[in-house]
Amino acid sequence: MARAVSTRKKLMWTGLAWFFGLLIFFPILWTFLTSFKSEGVAIADPPVWFAFDWTLENYRAVQERSNYPLALTNSIVIALGSTFLGILIAVPAAWAMAFVPGKRTKDVLLWMLSTKMLPAVGVLYPLVLLAKWLGIMDSRILLVVVLMLINLPIIVWMLYTYFKEIPGEILEAARMDGANLKNEIIYVLTPMAIPGIASTILLNIILAWNEAFWTILLTTVSAAPLTKFIASYSSPEGLFYAKLSAASMMAIAPILILGWFSQKQLVRGLTFGAVK
Amino acid sequence: MASIDTDARSRAGRRPNRLFKNMNAKLASLPMMFTALVVFLGGTIWTITYSFTSSGLLPRLEWAGLEQYARLWSSRKWLVSIENLAIYGFLSLILTLVIAFILAALLDRKIRGEDTFRTIFLYPFALSFIVTGLVWQWILNPQFGVQDVVRDLGWTNFNFDPLNNPEIVLYGLLIAGLWQGTGLIMCIMLAGLRGIDEDIWKATRVDGIGTVKTYLVVIIPMMRPVFVTSLVLIGSGIVKLYDLVVAQTSGGPGISSEVPAKYVMTSMFGGQNLGQGFAASTMMMLSVIIILIPWAYLEFGGRKRG
Repeated sequence: MARAVSTRKKLMWTGLAWFFGLLIFFPILWTFLTSFKSEGVAIADPPVWFAFDWTLENYRAVQERSNYPLALTNSIVIALGSTFLGILIAVPAAWAMAFVPGKRTKDVLLWMLSTKMLPAVGVLYPLVLLAKWLGIMDSRILLVVVLMLINLPIIVWMLYTYFKEIPGEILEAARMDGANLKNEIIYVLTPMAIPGIASTILLNIILAWNEAFWTILLTTVSAAPLTKFIASYSSPEGLFYAKLSAASMMAIAPILILGWFSQKQLVRGLTFGAVK
Repeated sequence: MASIDTDARSRAGRRPNRLFKNMNAKLASLPMMFTALVVFLGGTIWTITYSFTSSGLLPRLEWAGLEQYARLWSSRKWLVSIENLAIYGFLSLILTLVIAFILAALLDRKIRGEDTFRTIFLYPFALSFIVTGLVWQWILNPQFGVQDVVRDLGWTNFNFDPLNNPEIVLYGLLIAGLWQGTGLIMCIMLAGLRGIDEDIWKATRVDGIGTVKTYLVVIIPMMRPVFVTSLVLIGSGIVKLYDLVVAQTSGGPGISSEVPAKYVMTSMFGGQNLGQGFAASTMMMLSVIIILIPWAYLEFGGRKRG
């Protein structure tokens, strides 16, 4: 950006940004610090910042009380499974809408968006009934399917915006060379749309990872992911803040790490897919 | 000459191709249409139908007319829920847009370490509402949270205890909600700002228009699509407001921070009162449709046809 900004002004803006950044980051930092304190230090008044006896006691206690590896595995399976299932269904649909727009394409897209807006409670009970009838309550497969359905509109919408950027002539050329539809999508469209697809996948993994409404309702123990794990610490243990912080850190650490390493992709996904 | 030739050939070759493509397009969208139709439409119709029955513990097709709706609208808890959602929704919409835009404009100044800031601003979005609610429940705790820290600094009369005060509990939720959701909107707006041609800035500079006025009069109108996207995202978040409330206040103190989604959940799974839950969800869907559909058609549907 070639806008003329003086050095002093720039320093001021940077300072302001740092201030906001710290303000926003503070709750996460505080949770992190507290997770290493003893319960007594955690609620000390005035608060202790760094000078305390760092302890792993809370992590050990959380680990003993609940099955963290199981919750973590469930979260990973559910987030990845629902995202990839969604991509599998959404790629052909987005292809159709982007390259073979019919009279109804706009309507379908609009309708997809409005299902995203409609409150989930509308389909809540029928889904629970169906799951009970099929005998798959509290199973990973149920959560994979349900979360896929919840996020499908946003997956299709994002993929559609990416695919629209790809010139249709290239696909046409591939077809002229004798590629059939399957090969056209797998060998021509997908490689060109990889950045877009990657961003979509990332965003949806995060959305699925954080989905609490459905996961808490549809699971009890064996398929319970990290959202349920952390929710179980909220009410009965409300006053044990250090343990609660440790549990929170255990629940969010994987996603924070993923976010840090893939932030470029993620920001791209959040912005590109949404702006166009 | 040659170009005309290929043109004609491709046009001739396109026609059967087009038909074939349309067939494939329909096939390709089939899985999506199927799931969308069966689950969303089917589920919605089912819920609406059973909202006219006297279902209690189990869903029963026992016609009860509008009885559930009459009960719903005479329930104080439901009225409080609706009012809460309206206030929360309005404030969160306005504040998210304003704060996100200001932050985005700030980052657009080409400050050092922009990537780091973007990640920091986005981090809250990566946390679930459950964690957000728990963390903020604690920060707003009067004994060792914000109130205590400010009092220790010398303002001993400082009072900020939203989670135990029915009058302002909603603002406690709002702070946490804003903290969680603003980063995402900011990123979208930043991308929108980056998409604006540098020449426009130069032109306004030449004309002597100030920075703030340029943003208000020139830049914001140009970012209309970005604002629409943001509105859709914020709006869908507001309607879903549930986990944050459960984690942060459980609807309390009393019923002062109840929200419609929680009313539905409680009647269905806590109160053995399915009919009430169905009626409440039908009302929620109805209000979303009334507010959104005409606007969405103007925004997305109209442009193409016009």
